[in-house]
This record gives sequence, C-alpha cells and structure tokens, in this order.
Amino acid sequence: MSGSSRLNLFPLVTQTAFLLPILVGLIFTAAPALGYLSVAGHRGFSLDPLRTLFAHPSLPGALRSTILSGAGAASASLALALWIAATVHGTRAWRVIEFSLAPLLSLPHAAFAIGFVFLISPSGWLMRAVSPSLSGFTYPPDWITAGDPWAISLTLTMILKETPFLLLMVFSGLNRLDVKRTVWIGRSLGYHRLRIWTRLLIPQLYPMLRLPLLAVLAYSLSVVDLAYIIGPSLPPTLSVLIDRWFNDPDIAYRMVGAAGAVLLFVLTLLFIALALLAEQLIKKAAAGRLLNGRRKSPFEPLAGTGSWYMMLVLLINTTSLLVLMIWSIARVWRFPDFLPSLLVISTWTDNWGRMIEPLGVSVAAALASCAISCVLVVGCLENELTLEYAKQPSIDRRSLWIVFMPLLIPQISFLFGIQVLLVFLHLDGTWLALIWIHMVFVLPYVFLTLASAYRSYDRRYSQVGLTLSWSPLKTFARIKLPILIKPILFSLAVGFSVSIAQYLPTLYVGNGRFATITTETVSLAAGSDRRIIAVYALSQVILPLLGYAAAIAIPFMMHRNRQMMRN
Amino acid sequence: MPAVLRIVFVAIFFVIFQTAPSRAEDTWQEIVATAQGQTVYFNGWGGSEVINEYIRWASAEAKTRYGIAVKHVKVSDIGDVVSRILAEKRAGRTSGGSVDLLWINGENFQAMKTNGLLLPPYTQRFPNFQLVDFENKPSTRYDFTVEVDNQESPWGMAQLVFIYDSGVVADPPQSIPELLDFCKRNSGRFTYPAPPDFYGTTFIKQALLELTADREPLYRPVDLERFQDITRPLWDFLDELHPYLWRSGRLQPKSAPEMKRLLGDREIFISLSFNPAEASNAITTGELPDTVRTYVHRDGTIGNTHFVAIPFNASAPEAAMVFANFLLSPEAQARKSDPTVWGDPTVLSMAKLSIEERRLFENLPRGIATLTAEQLGTVILEPHPSWVSAVEKEWLNRYAR
Repeated sequence: MSGSSRLNLFPLVTQTAFLLPILVGLIFTAAPALGYLSVAGHRGFSLDPLRTLFAHPSLPGALRSTILSGAGAASASLALALWIAATVHGTRAWRVIEFSLAPLLSLPHAAFAIGFVFLISPSGWLMRAVSPSLSGFTYPPDWITAGDPWAISLTLTMILKETPFLLLMVFSGLNRLDVKRTVWIGRSLGYHRLRIWTRLLIPQLYPMLRLPLLAVLAYSLSVVDLAYIIGPSLPPTLSVLIDRWFNDPDIAYRMVGAAGAVLLFVLTLLFIALALLAEQLIKKAAAGRLLNGRRKSPFEPLAGTGSWYMMLVLLINTTSLLVLMIWSIARVWRFPDFLPSLLVISTWTDNWGRMIEPLGVSVAAALASCAISCVLVVGCLENELTLEYAKQPSIDRRSLWIVFMPLLIPQISFLFGIQVLLVFLHLDGTWLALIWIHMVFVLPYVFLTLASAYRSYDRRYSQVGLTLSWSPLKTFARIKLPILIKPILFSLAVGFSVSIAQYLPTLYVGNGRFATITTETVSLAAGSDRRIIAVYALSQVILPLLGYAAAIAIPFMMHRNRQMMRN
Repeated sequence: MPAVLRIVFVAIFFVIFQTAPSRAEDTWQEIVATAQGQTVYFNGWGGSEVINEYIRWASAEAKTRYGIAVKHVKVSDIGDVVSRILAEKRAGRTSGGSVDLLWINGENFQAMKTNGLLLPPYTQRFPNFQLVDFENKPSTRYDFTVEVDNQESPWGMAQLVFIYDSGVVADPPQSIPELLDFCKRNSGRFTYPAPPDFYGTTFIKQALLELTADREPLYRPVDLERFQDITRPLWDFLDELHPYLWRSGRLQPKSAPEMKRLLGDREIFISLSFNPAEASNAITTGELPDTVRTYVHRDGTIGNTHFVAIPFNASAPEAAMVFANFLLSPEAQARKSDPTVWGDPTVLSMAKLSIEERRLFENLPRGIATLTAEQLGTVILEPHPSWVSAVEKEWLNRYAR
C-alpha cells in the first residue's frame, strides 16, 4: 500500500512541474496583450494592442497561410500515414518502413528544410540536374517554388516531416492491437485489406493517434523556424509575425506580439476543437456503414500507391540530406553545375573545433532531460497500472493530459511569459531552467512513445518474480525492465532528438548563455554561406542518429543470447 | 612671507593640474584591474562566420592581455536581446543582467536609450575613444540622428554598396531611376529584402533620399501630416518597380545574406551590402564568383556607424568597457579593416594615430572588388529613426497584404 502511495507522487510531481509554470507563462504573455506592460509605462488595461493587431495589414494574409499550412499539413499527414499503413502493412515493404523511421525522424526539421529548399529552388539541384542540357537554362528561371505565397512548399515540408512521426505512432498503436488475428478474421470473411483497415483497425487505432495528431496540428499552426526557412514572406505566417513583433525595437510592439500570441493560442484551441468535432462527425457518419457488409473498396486499384508515397517521402528526405552532404564539402558550386567544381574538406576541419562545445551542451541537456523524463514517465505509468490492477478508479489517465499541454499550446504563446517568470525567480540562464524547459517538451514525447508498449506488458512475468519472493523493486529491475528495454530506449531516443531540436525554448530560457548545436545552426542559417550551414546542419543530424543507433544496438547486445527477445 | 606663499600656490596649482589627468588614468587602471577575471557576455548577430572568427580572435586577445573571458552569444536578431533586457528590467533586475555588451545601432539604440536600458555615459573613459574620427564621421556622434551621448562605443563604419556580377552586367545603374530601367530590361534579376529587414528598409530609405528633392524634413521626427506628400515619389517608384522584381515581387528575400546566396546562384544579378569589402571577401572564400564587383550611386549612398553598448544592468561592466576599448585600439581596428579578415572600415582618424599605428592600416591589401575611399563617394546620413517605422508601416500596407 505504501508502495502505491509513493507511486502517487509521480503524477503529482509531473503535473505540477508542467501545469503551473505553463499557466503562469500564458498569463504573463497574455497580460501585455491587454495593455499591461509596466516597463513601457503601460499599467492600465486597454484594448489597443488587440486593435492594432486586427488593423495590421498583414494579418488577414498571415492568418490565411497559417491556417492553410497548419490544418493542411496535419490532415494530409494523417491521411497519408493511415493510407500507407493500410496499404503497406503486412508486406515486405512494411519492414523497410519500420527500419527507416528512426533515421527519418532523426533528421531535424530545420536541417531538412534547408536541404529541401535547395532541392526545389529554380537554381536548386533538381534544376541543375536538367540544366542546361534538357531545360536549356543557363540562368535559373524566375519561377516561384520554395517560399511560395500560397504556403504550399511550407505545407509540403511539414507533411514530409510529420507523416513519418504519425507512422511511428501507428506502429506503437498497432502494438496494442491484435492485428494479425483481426486481419485473419477479416480476410476469412472476404473483406479487402482496405476494408479491414477502415472497418476494424482504424476505429481501434484512432484513439491512440488522437493526441499525436493534435500535437502535429498545434505544431504546424505555430512553427517558427520552418516558416522562416521555407514559408511565404509577403506576408509571412502569424507565428513569424509574432516573433518579429516580440523582437521589434519599438517596445510598444511587444504588446501587439502578445496579442498575436493570444490569437494564435485561441486559433490553435479552435482547430483542436474542430478536429475533435470532425472526429465525432465522421464517427457518426460511418457508424451506419460499419456493418453494411460491403467487402470491396472503390479505392482498391490505388492500393499500390501507398508504398510509392512512402518511397517518395524516403527519397526526398535522403536527397535533402545528400544535398547537405555535398554542400558541406563543396568549395565552389555554381548554377548550372550538377556537382561542385571544387571539393574541399576544410569547411569541416575549420569548424570542427568550434562545434565541440555546442555539441557538448546539447548532449548534456538532452541526457539530463531524457533521464529525468524517463523516470517520471515510468513512475506515472507504474502508478496507473497499479491503480488499474487494484480496480481503483484511475483518474490519472485523464489528468495526464496536462503533461501533453506543452504540445498543444503554441510555444511562442507562453515562452515570453516563462522568460519573465524565470528572470523574476533569478533562474534564467541556469542549467536547471534549461533542463526543465527541455523536459517540458521531451517528457510528452517519451510518454507518447512509451505508454502503449508499457501498458501492454504482460504482468504475469512480474508475478512469477514476486512468487519467487523477490521484492517488487528487484522484480521490476530484473524482469520488467529487460523485457521493456527496447521501447524504453526507443522512447528515450525520441526524447533525445526532441531535446536536440529545441530552438526557441533554449533561446528564451537560456539567455543566450547556452549555445547548443541547434541555436548555432539556426543563427548561421541566417547567414549566406551554405557550406557552413550544411556542416552545422549535418552535425545536428549526427546526435539524434547516434541516439537511435544506441536504442537499437543496446537491446541487441543485452539480448544476444536470448532468441525470443530479439524480435 | 609672500615667497613661501607663492611656492605654496604654485605647488597647489601643480597638484591640481597635474593630478587631474593622472587620476583619470588611475580610474581606467582601476577599471582594468577590476575587469580581470570577469566574463563578458557579448551579444551580437552571429550569421557571418567571417565576423564570428574576428570576434574569436578579439576574445583570445582580451584573455591574454586583460584576463577577461569573452563569450560571443550569437543571435539572429539583436532586437531579441533588447527585448530580454527589457524583460529583466521589468522583473526588477538592476544588476547581474544576462548581457554585458551588445552590438547595435539605429532604432535598437534609440529603443534602449529612451527606455533607460543603457549604462550612464561611459565611453569618454576609454583611452582609445580619443582616436575616433568624430570630425569627419558625424555618424559616430549621431546614430540615425539620435545623439549618442557616450552611451555606445563606435565599432565600425558601414556604407550601402551594390554588388553585381560583371560577367553578366556590363555597366551597372548609377541611380535609383537607372536601377528601374535596368529592372525593366532585365526582368526578375533584382530584388531587395522585405522590410522590416534592416537591409530592405535601408534600400527604401536610399530610394527615398534619392527621389526626394528636399531632404531636410527627413532629418527631423516624421511629420505624419506631410508624410504622404513627402514619400509620394518613393511609392510611385516602388509601384513601378515591383512587377519587374525577382519573382515579380510576389516573394522577397528575408535578408541580405539570402540576396548574396541568390547572387551566387545567378538568380539575381545585383545584390546589396553594408560592408564595402564584402564582395572581395566573398571572392576569397569562394562564395561568389571572381567576376563580382562593387558600385555605388552617383549621388552617394547611405552610411552609418555600428556600435557596441553596455546595458544598465551588466554583470561585468568593467570588463565590458575594457573589451570595448580594446575593440577601438588601432591594432584591433586595423585587423578588422583587413578584407581577408572582415573588411569593416575603421572608425578611427588616421590623423590621430602615430606613424606606426597608421602603417597598420596603410599596409592592408585592398580586394579586387573593393572601391577606394574616393570611389565610395558621398556618404548620405541616415534619416531620423522615426522614419523607419513610418516607412515600414506604409510599405507593409502596400506590399505585404
């Protein structure tokens, strides 16, 4: 009994560590939106910032591209992930996808976008491949591709990065379902594979995809660094406008920025509500059709396209990476040369020494935030399962939504407030603050990737240990942990790559005193030298890649003499 | 005894007038002594590896000469740092701030000055401050017309120059109207960064200054009633120009570095820079082809000074002063002017330097694409900073809907 009450502390600690600061951050950001910014001499409440915001000439255009790219990317990614799963699952290509997800996810958004822009620009690699021989262009044509005013290229970039993430969530969700037998039963009744998915699997799978989808939606609506790299410019997306207002030397604009941050927050909530509503509507509309007994699907002829989509996603990701690799060793690479005319290794050797410190800071922050997050997540899950086993009402599962809040609220809507709070507490620029803010984003992802595998653990294994009169702790360490080591390490690797990629949080909380490989890369990305940008972006890729490699290698080594554990 | 009195008077006289300067010297010595062992967090734009490398050199020198550790905090927008200092002030942190020194000018300086975010006047204490060419470089005293008041220390000079590919363009335009003709003849081969990017706004100010008959109102705070009248020629010009811009003006680069990349990719034929040596530098690093050259407009281009400043709540103000003073030293300034290092023009007056110090500058190589001081021609001073936000606002209204 005492054991379970001690376990109770985990959700408590986890929730207070996240809920309070984020609420305070939101409030501290919202106050200036209502005209309260004491340092600028504004102490009363007024609607002026909101009025300025809504009168801003760029707002309608910015809202349009924000909504189109955000909602478009989220819904297209979900559709694509489900389509790929439904059409490819069970084939040999499915193993290829499983194997390729980790490296795909380890390619940070910003690094990918930098490569992708160079790929599709009129002076980019694709055009160089056909110029001047096929196209006849000796100068790049004046076509609109990357950074188009309709935000299509931005949407595409996000789809290419979010589809693999949602596929990963499909994988972890399928772990909890008895897919083999479901498919077997469906097949034996003569259902086409697409029908089996839409009638039997997706209805069970979707509840596990809901949260990741909403996270993708919130992220796509509020992303800043991608929008800077490949988003429209006249006007840019709302998140970029807000960031710009927060950085405007005219201090009055900070209040407009705060008003924008509140608007983005409301917009995100609205779209989350819309997504939930759409889910209900589709459920209602589909309810009657679930039992109509139709075996065939009109989309059957298209079933082969799933693996093609996946191939395309893979191909574009690898090509973008390849382009970065070539740039990192190029000295001179001009249009329309397909390959650089001069290759050198000096960009690497000149910069290597300078990257050691930021790499070290990145690794330290990521390891610390991952380790703490992992302990907290395992504690929360243990508590939940203990309560469930004792048949006590498990309210925790519901209240753990709080943990996911940071993924559902635009970063820019609470970071300014958190910065003010930390300065007030004299905690800004400390390791404590840095690790904490990283945890705010790492922990939800660790939770998302670990929960389903953890919950589907067969507790009878542990019961065997307990009947051998082992202590619960020993049973946990000797039996449960080794069995779950693979999903635990994988969730750690995901958390690690999330921590490495943090840009805005590191900047706002770290006071600029922590130079991570990501902050260095983004600050260099503002410069002109593609060769140096490529070197830094590739170094940013290396760390998560090592993390995923470790997550695969360690269980393999641990279980090298356990035949059954290797699958 | 008058003789004795006289001696006493003379002695007092000597004491007063002799010790006064040596006491000032003492104060600086004290500052240098206090600075030892302190860490300076120097916040500045970090987008150029050439500049970062120079700051790395200066930091290493400060370490060996004064025992000061300088940490270069690379930021993508210095306005961000101004915002952070503001947040600190808001939270009541009057000392122990996160920034010791920052690289600014123009509106950022004005914002910091009017909000009391700067250390009270301090640059007069720097020994090297005497060497600055205040007489011939008025922008060292008036930063975008705002009086500097010893609250920021001059670091380098900047002048708007255009970079073009001489392999493609035979004779580049020499004025804003000629630029318009060029764009009409070479549709899609010129653009400028979208304001509020610093370079974009500068280009617009350049056009405004060239197209306005009477410049006098531009040097006073903007008069909103006359704003439309004064700026009419500017908007007429831009309305005519935009359809002939790169991507027909439907998208514009976000920054000058992006322009440089476009020039290297041959997407555009003319780019712009604030560093007269940038083209030569880019040829050396291989970023731009060796056919690029620099030009300025016949009637001159905008020039200004960039500064370093110490916030009111700096944790290590003494070390920040010592480092800022080192940045002003003839040695550091000469190295900065070297186009193979950075190529940023000095703020110092050659007339105030010793012969050896002057030689440091005279022996510098001048890159193949760098203009001489005479070729750079007239420097047009920056308008009052209030014009920046007024012009930007109208620009957004017209072209960023």
